[in-house]
Amino acid sequence: MVLVEVFGTGCAKCGRMIKNVEIAVRELKIDAEIRKIESLDAMIERGVMLTPALYVDGEAKVVGHVPCVEDIKQILLGEK
Amino acid sequence: MAEQTVPQCTCGGGAEPEGGTKRIIFACAGASKAGQLSNEAAVQLTKEGYGNIACTASLAVSTPSIKKKVEAADEVIVIDGCPVGCARQIAERAGIAPDQEIVVTDLGIEKGGGLDLSEEDVETVVSAAWEGKGRSKTENERRPSGGCGCDGGGCC
Repeated sequence: MVLVEVFGTGCAKCGRMIKNVEIAVRELKIDAEIRKIESLDAMIERGVMLTPALYVDGEAKVVGHVPCVEDIKQILLGEK
Repeated sequence: MAEQTVPQCTCGGGAEPEGGTKRIIFACAGASKAGQLSNEAAVQLTKEGYGNIACTASLAVSTPSIKKKVEAADEVIVIDGCPVGCARQIAERAGIAPDQEIVVTDLGIEKGGGLDLSEEDVETVVSAAWEGKGRSKTENERRPSGGCGCDGGGCC
């Protein structure tokens, strides 16, 4: 299973990130757990200083912007 | 500058972090529901920080300020109400190949039916841009099929 974490403070961009991740996971039909993390303490603990941020299996993949669905698919497939 | 100690969100006002993608958005703003949706979606996308709305009419007459804005942008996004693609055509005549073109009627929204815009329709168009739906279009798909689908609203 792939662990997909989206760090964000609940703003519009973070909401878009979650939505795009959900679409990408659904279209790829992969087994993934999507975690939405809004706690500032959790972000500081993980070293996330710019949101929204996307981590896959603990690795930072995108920081500070919202990737499109196709980009997220490539990230989840390990092509990016 | 003081060291940043708390996470900072990149939301708001079209602002992108240093090195982020700077997008410029041209909407057709045509005289139909779909045309007006294109404009409303561009406004919403600007508020959400996706990019910055720019004047399509200025692009049509090639004002110096719009040229500068386009040159400064990393991506050009076009939102057209219908397959005629007026905003795309204006961009292309200005020598710009849009990175993404969203066509409102391709999203299952009818062109006509009054000028009252629903939040749901605006959200559909805004989501399509964020998702990057307009990136997958081929050149052939972008071309009008011969009719604009105008229902008598006199848009074109």
